[in-house]
Order: sequence, then C-alpha cells, then structure tokens
Amino acid sequence: MFRKVLKFLSSMKFAIILLVILALACAAGSFLSQHQSYEWYASRYSERTAAVIYALALDDVYHSIWFLILTAVLCCNLLFCNLLRFKPIFQKTKDFSNPKSMNLSLENSVDFSGNPCYVFKRLRFPAPIETELDGKTVLFSQKNRIGLWGAWICHLGILLLILGFTLGQMTRLEYAVYGVSGQTKPIADTNYLLTIDDFQIGLNEDDAVSQYSASLTVREIDSGETQSAQVSVNYPASLFGYQFYQNSTGWAADVSVLKNGILLQEEILCAGEYFTIEDLPELAVCFNAFYPDFVMIEGKGPATASGKLVNPAYLYSIYYGEEILGMNALFSGEVITIDDYEIQFSNPRNYTVIQIKSDRFTPLALLGGIITMIGLFLAFYLQPKRLLSIPNGNRFSFIGQSRRDGPIFCEELSAAVNEARNVPPLS
Amino acid sequence: MLYAENILFTAVMLIYFAAMMLFFVFVAVKKDIIAVIGKYLLLTGLLLHTAALICRGIGAERLPMTNQYEFATSFAWALCLVSLVFILKFRFSMLGVFTSPVIFLVIGYAAMQSKEVKELMPALRSNWLGFHVSTAIIAYGAFGVSFVLSLIFLLRGIMKDNGFFDQHIPKREKLDLISYRSVCLGLLFLTFTIVTGAIWAERAWGSYWSWDPKETWSLVTWLVYSVYLHLRLRRGWSGKSAAVFAVVGFLCVIFTYIGVNTLLPGIHSYA
Ligand code: HEM
Repeated sequence: MFRKVLKFLSSMKFAIILLVILALACAAGSFLSQHQSYEWYASRYSERTAAVIYALALDDVYHSIWFLILTAVLCCNLLFCNLLRFKPIFQKTKDFSNPKSMNLSLENSVDFSGNPCYVFKRLRFPAPIETELDGKTVLFSQKNRIGLWGAWICHLGILLLILGFTLGQMTRLEYAVYGVSGQTKPIADTNYLLTIDDFQIGLNEDDAVSQYSASLTVREIDSGETQSAQVSVNYPASLFGYQFYQNSTGWAADVSVLKNGILLQEEILCAGEYFTIEDLPELAVCFNAFYPDFVMIEGKGPATASGKLVNPAYLYSIYYGEEILGMNALFSGEVITIDDYEIQFSNPRNYTVIQIKSDRFTPLALLGGIITMIGLFLAFYLQPKRLLSIPNGNRFSFIGQSRRDGPIFCEELSAAVNEARNVPPLS
Repeated sequence: MLYAENILFTAVMLIYFAAMMLFFVFVAVKKDIIAVIGKYLLLTGLLLHTAALICRGIGAERLPMTNQYEFATSFAWALCLVSLVFILKFRFSMLGVFTSPVIFLVIGYAAMQSKEVKELMPALRSNWLGFHVSTAIIAYGAFGVSFVLSLIFLLRGIMKDNGFFDQHIPKREKLDLISYRSVCLGLLFLTFTIVTGAIWAERAWGSYWSWDPKETWSLVTWLVYSVYLHLRLRRGWSGKSAAVFAVVGFLCVIFTYIGVNTLLPGIHSYA
C-alpha cells in the first residue's frame, strides 16, 4: 500500500495533474485583484464572494498556504521522480553503447548492398565499431547519450530554482530609504547609515526622462567604515553585502514654521508626508501633492502641465487633532497663517527612493534557471541515437533508433542508404 | 530610414497577402507549382521583412522590439521564419496554407499599431532587453507554428479520406512529431525569455519575480507546454490530448501577449 502511494506520488500522471492545477491557480491569481481588503471585494462582488475569497486566501494566491503546499508537493514529486530514476537512467546510459540492448525487430531497418561506413558518416555518427552480435560481426555506433539525462537535469534545475526562490522569499531583507541630496538616514534596524550625496534626473531632447541616478555613501555605525557607489535604473550597486537600487522618485520641499516672526522649525518634507508643529502637536500639516507646472483642468481638478518647475504649487491640508481645518494649493512665496504661526514651503526638488535588499539565495535560483535551460537543451537537441549494421549475405541491414525522433530518423536513414547505393561497395 | 521601413513594411504585407492567396488557390486547383511559388513568395517576404526591421533598427537607433508595433512585426517575422524552416526541413509546403493566414493576421495587427518612435524609458535601457525580447519573438513564432500543426493534427482526425490532403499532409504520427519539434524550440526559448527577463527585473526593479501579470502568464504558458510534453510521453494520452494542450498553450501565448496588456494591470503595461 505504502509503495503504491509512493509510486503514485512520484509518477508522471500525478505531475501532470499538479502542473495543471498550478497553471489554473496562477491564472486565477492574475484575474482576481490581489491584496485588497475584505470591504473592497464585498463592494466589488458580494459579501458572500468576499467571504469565499478570504476563506480560500484568494486575495493573496501566490503566498497562500495552499499554493505553498502545492509547490512543495510538486517539489516532492520531482525529487522522488528524480531519485527513483537516477539508477535506471544510469543503467540505460551504460547499456546505450551496447547493441544487445537494441530492439532488433527489423521494422526500422533498411537493406542495401554498398559501403555501410558511408551511411554512418552521412548521418554524422562517430566511426562505427565492430562487435559480435548473435554470432555475426556487426557495425555499431551511437551518439548523444548525454541527452538521456536532459529531462533529469531539467527537473533538477527546476527543483533548485523553486528552492532558491522559496528560501529567498523566507529570508530576504528589504528596506527602502528616501530623501533628497545631502540627507543622511538610518537603514531601518541595520547598523548602517545611508547618505544620498547627490541625485540627478537626466532628460532627453524631448524632455522625457532618460535616467535617474543617485550617488550614495553607506557608513557602518560601529566601525565608521564607509563605502560609496553610484546607482541608477538598471545599474544597482552592492555595498556591505546589500544591493542598492534606484527605485523611484517624487517631489520634496523645505518647510519652515515661524512663530511671531521667529523661526521655530525647519523640515524637509516629501509629498505624501506630514509634520506636527513642535510646541503645538495637535496642529499637523500634510504635504499632499506637488505640481511643478500647476494648471487647473475643468472637471478634473489640479494637474501639472509638464515636469518642469514653471509654476510650482504645493497642495496641503491642515489638521487640528482629528479635525481637518482646510485644504488648499500654495504658490511660491505664499504663506499659510494660523494664529501666531506662519508656514512656508520652498525649494522644491526631487527626492529619490533607494531600495535596499539582501537575498543570499538569488544565486541558487539563477543556478537552477541555468541548469533548467541546459537540461531542456539536452533533452530536445541532443537526441540519443544509435545505428547498427548487420551483414546479411552480401547485403547489410541497418537498424536505427532515435529516442524521440523515430519517424524522421527513419526517413534520414533511408535517404542516406539510397545515397550510399551510389558509393563503391566495401572491398 | 523610417520612411524606407514604411514602404518595405507595406510591400511585405502585400507579399504575405499574395502568398496566402496563392496557398488558397493551391488548395483549390491542386497544382503543386502554385505552392512552390507561394513558398518563394514567403521567402521574398521574409527577406524584405528582415530589411524592414533593420531599417527600423537603424532609424530608431535601437533594437526594433520595444513597443506593440515593433513586437508585432517582429512576431510576424519569426512566424514566417519558423514556418519556412519547417516547410523546407520537412518538405511540407501545405504548412504554408495554414501558417500564412496567421502571419498575415499578425502583421495586420502590427499595421494597426502606432508606428511612432519614442525614446525609451530608463527601465527599458538595458542590454537584457535585446536577449529578453528576441528570445520571446522566436518562442512566439515557434509556438505559432506548433499551434497550426496541432490544429492540422486535430483536423486530420476528423477529416474524411481525401487523396489531395493525404498526399500533401504528413501522417498524424509525423505531424505530432513536427509539432513536438516546434514546441521544443518554443519552450527552450520561452525558458530563455523568462530567465533573462528575471535577471533584468532583478537589475531594474530589485526583484526577479514579482507575480506581475505578464510574468504570471508566461509561467502559465510554460506550465501548459510542459503538460504537453509529459502528455506526449504517456501512452493513450499522447497525440490528441497533447495537441489540445498545444492549442491551449498558444491561446495562453496570445493572452500573454495582448490580453495581459489590455485587460490586466502591471509593470509590463508599456511593453
Ligand atoms: C514544471 C515542471 C516540469 C518541466 C518543465 C518538465 C520538463 C520535462 C522535459 C523537458 C522532459 C523531456 C520531455 C521529452 O523528452 O520530450 C520531461 C520528461 C519527463 N518528466 Fe518532466 N518536467 C516537469 C515536471 C515534472 C514532474 C513534477 C515530474 C514528476 C514525476 C516529471 C516527470 C517526468 C518524466 C518521468 C519524464 C520522462 C523522462 C524521460 O523520458 O527521460 N516532470 N520533463
């Protein structure tokens, strides 16, 4: 019973079922919007559908426990299959160079009287060897034996790929730091500080962005050691074992708060952030959005006509406790006045978002991918083939075998034999 | 250069149309010579098409594979290339009857897209783009041919005996084998596409796999074709059900190519 179950679990039939289910699951996850709230699904579909979606974790298919289990079962299936098949393939590879293991029924055979070596050569086989078979001296050659390992190697690659990806997902560290040129910030809970030395946006002639690049310096807090690099889109850098990526950008500005004409507070604020007044924490100012080239489009609201600083405007809102006091657009030089406080936005410039990552298993996944490709190449393009020529009076019978290409190889063999008829016979 | 490309493109479209018509006439009047002319017409189309793509590449100063128009015209080019290779290798002119409408359809789709040459956004400025997209084009071309072959395979099962078709279409066993050969080519190149795409995503976005819809659908396609391969190895299941999977696989290819961009959101939406 146990053997039977194990056999099924390592069978190709089970593999096909699993692959179909996986394909369906992947497709389902791409149709249903992922990572939404229960309320979102309930309003979009129905309360009942939302309950089903949440019960089956369909809101996050690719990280759900059942998807993980499915992948794990596939891995076991692959592993068992490869373990069980190692010895048989090994044996088959050994037998492949022995003509005795060939099926000698003459269904794939062609007869002719001519030079048999020519046929071997024409079909690009290595020079045949003479050996005894059933009391006859036969000519035999084989090629592409390694192709027998193609599927096995491909499966091994897939296993490593899944392993590398899953371990990476479980252990990877990821942070994001954003800021403008000159700012230094800690990288979350690590022992490093990141300084953005410079941030530039390169433009094409048509003013479209050609590149974003940031110069970075990372300092290890304990030792004071530093490392620097430049990162831009498609060109990450590696510092202290972490990968640094130029991820995205947005607008930031300086905000100053004056109380009775005296400077109370200065901040660098990125669009989307808020700050509270130091001596009146109930009062908060949110920098909602920035429009470098402000225009008002009827029916649509505020927008920017270009990416250039032509008519900058800051959209802000002010809160007192939970209550919103107001929301408005502020132009250069304008000041927000609330009682004794004056708030001013100035010096708009781009901030950069630097993504920081460490995933020690990426090389394993890459190795898996490369091995998979090699395996596929071997399986598809190195077809194991063998050819046997048996003397039959003063004629020769040819028996050919190709693992997956039978009918085509047969045609090639007939063609080669036909050509060989015109070649002088063996002396 | 872009002007030259425009003229060449129109010429190529007309040639593919003429080739398709000739192949239809071939079926109607059953004269082999017409199929031979059709074959040479396809070859002429392919050469001019290659010239058109080179002109586009020189005119735009980059690989001509970065927007819907360029990808569609390259896809038609690969379809034509792969089907000619199979027509010549397996002496199977009749294949042209079935692939030429697909080629014409794809180049027609290309003609409907905007031909404007735009500067590339930063994420697309990578050498990996060339590897990623050119392997995708070959994969798509090969899958297109396997789709056509599998359709022929399935049709052959329901077709009554017909001397003309029997003479010009290989036996089902060989059809299955040729289809298998083109799926192999496609799957190998799809794997290259996915791996180079992952390496590129790692460099551009810091994550080599993020379940973006285009990624997901290329994985679905990859899974469907691997089911095809395994089904072929099973007695009783090979042939017909495998052919069905090859057809489903190509529908996935088309969905990955067009459906994902229009129906699902994601970072690939510019491609
Ligand atoms: C995504 C997953 C998979 C891929 C891409 C894949 C790929 C392949 C390829 C390319 C072949 C060679 C086919 C041929 O020569 O025509 C093959 C054969 C095979 N596969 Fe898979 N495979 C996968 C999963 C599995 C699983 C899970 C099993 C588990 C049992 C399995 C079992 C087999 C077997 C038994 C063969 C026959 C090998 C031979 O004849 O040497 N495969 N597979």
